[in-house]
Amino acid sequence: MNSTFEAAAAAAPSSEPSPAHAATGRTLLMLVRREFWENRYLWCAPLAVAVLIALSPLLGHGELHLPPFANADSRVALSTLVQWALLIPLSLVMVICVGYYLLDCLYTERRDRSILFWKSLPISDRLTVGSKVLVALLVVPLGVCALGVLAHVVFSALIDARLALRGVPAMLGFNLLEWFRTELALLLMMLLAMLWYAPLSAYLLLISAWARRSPFLWAALPLAVAPLLERIVFGSHYLWSFLKYRQNGIWHTLALGHTHIISHDRVLPVGTLLDDLNFREAFTDVDLWLGVAVAVALVLLAVRVRRYRDDS
Amino acid sequence: MTAVIEARGLTKSYGATHALDNVSLNVGAGRIVGLIGPNGAGKTTALKAILGLTTFEGELRVLGIDPRAQRDALMSEVCFIADVAVLPRWLKVSQALSFCAGVHPRFDRARAEDFLRRTDIRMTSRVRELSKGMVTQLHLALIMAIDARLLVLDEPTLGLDLLYRRKFYDTLLNDYFDKQRTIVLTTHQVEEVENLFTDVIFINHGRVVLAAAVEELGQRYQQLTLAGEQAARGRALRPFYEREVFGRVAMLFEDRSAAELGALGELRTPSIADLFVAKMQETGST
Repeated sequence: MNSTFEAAAAAAPSSEPSPAHAATGRTLLMLVRREFWENRYLWCAPLAVAVLIALSPLLGHGELHLPPFANADSRVALSTLVQWALLIPLSLVMVICVGYYLLDCLYTERRDRSILFWKSLPISDRLTVGSKVLVALLVVPLGVCALGVLAHVVFSALIDARLALRGVPAMLGFNLLEWFRTELALLLMMLLAMLWYAPLSAYLLLISAWARRSPFLWAALPLAVAPLLERIVFGSHYLWSFLKYRQNGIWHTLALGHTHIISHDRVLPVGTLLDDLNFREAFTDVDLWLGVAVAVALVLLAVRVRRYRDDS
Repeated sequence: MTAVIEARGLTKSYGATHALDNVSLNVGAGRIVGLIGPNGAGKTTALKAILGLTTFEGELRVLGIDPRAQRDALMSEVCFIADVAVLPRWLKVSQALSFCAGVHPRFDRARAEDFLRRTDIRMTSRVRELSKGMVTQLHLALIMAIDARLLVLDEPTLGLDLLYRRKFYDTLLNDYFDKQRTIVLTTHQVEEVENLFTDVIFINHGRVVLAAAVEELGQRYQQLTLAGEQAARGRALRPFYEREVFGRVAMLFEDRSAAELGALGELRTPSIADLFVAKMQETGST
């Protein structure tokens, strides 16, 4: 038993959690926490929106004018819809926060010269920049998904409680399997969004590491001017089409637009939403992974810029 | 004795100006080195090179490590305070301690807390709520809790009042410094800290003008004060600097015998501040 273990350890030395790896993990965890200390809006803003959403059933005064969904399946389907819809405002806030964060994080530390403090500690530039990518592309999105779940649970309970108080039967049906399937789909969509927009995120991070001043202007200018120049000089609009494609291409692949979530008089049968989405196709999309490769290159470039930029 | 810093031919230019012009220096263990020069002389660039914060030409080893190639490894043995303004304003004192404890293998949290207890700094305060002097104390508390071999201080007491400055250097000397550690310090207030140094390096226009142990200075340099009418006799021995004080003339000599000079007037070892002024004039400062 022991010898087998040792043989395995010898065969794969990197899989053994060495003290160095543990230390790197601890440092990374600390770096991630640091980002939330400094940029409190990263958790405050989504939390505030989630609370607002969750408690919104208490705010309304008017009657609920919805068709009576006698059918239990329709009630579950409607609940699924609500589950999706509630994540939209949360995602919007997240996009604003994360976008701002990516443009700001490597710029502010140079502007206030605190970079000299961070650089006085034995932390590599790669790990520092990596922690910022991790926060923007994984920690915050997962947190937002979790907030979405909580907001949905409270929202549904409050709606039904309100209806029950007035003697109206519950409107949102709960089905564990459907709930779980929807949650999974939302999580996958979030992941897909993070991968698809990774090159844009990395671009913002690079501008943040590079700009001497006004990173917002530097980030926006090429995106606005380059297509315009192309149009004026060459009369073509490849860049514009490309930007539009990078904006929503993956959602076409996912066939998000083809799901007719609700029609005039009825709610679609349970499960339609998920079954219509092409996750397999979206996640194996070549452009998606090409974009991720570009993002990795841009992040490595940002690491280099942070390492050698000497203006503080 | 192994060298803590070994530099050969460091050169760095910003456009047409030479921030560092073929600088070579050696710093041994257990020394407190004053790196002294006028504004724009290249002090900060030299420190940045030592800390791996900037690119340069030439050969440099700090604790045997090339700061360009292995900056991260170097920083676990080296600490630095760039100047008072660099602790981020949003940082809480307790967060600063947690962060350092989380990322620095040689950070001793209890030691930092112990030091902070002797100040007016509260754990719950943010840096932006602290006075300039307290921010420096906090930074010093963090640095002193790290068991580092080299401490680099670039104008650490800039903008502080005399009380904080005095306290800063007293703490540094009494609670931190020992023969295992090395401190490299730049400052404008040379008079205040000159008895702190074991070594001085004068730097002007990117060049090393003087590098010596303080105990050598007394043998190499003499300050002769003589009455105005005697000045011509003093000048015959070619001082490299002179100035008039209350009708008397103070002259600085290099490598002259005490017997030769003593006959002319009052002889003593020049202060580091006087020597600095003289050397800067000799090498053409501003």
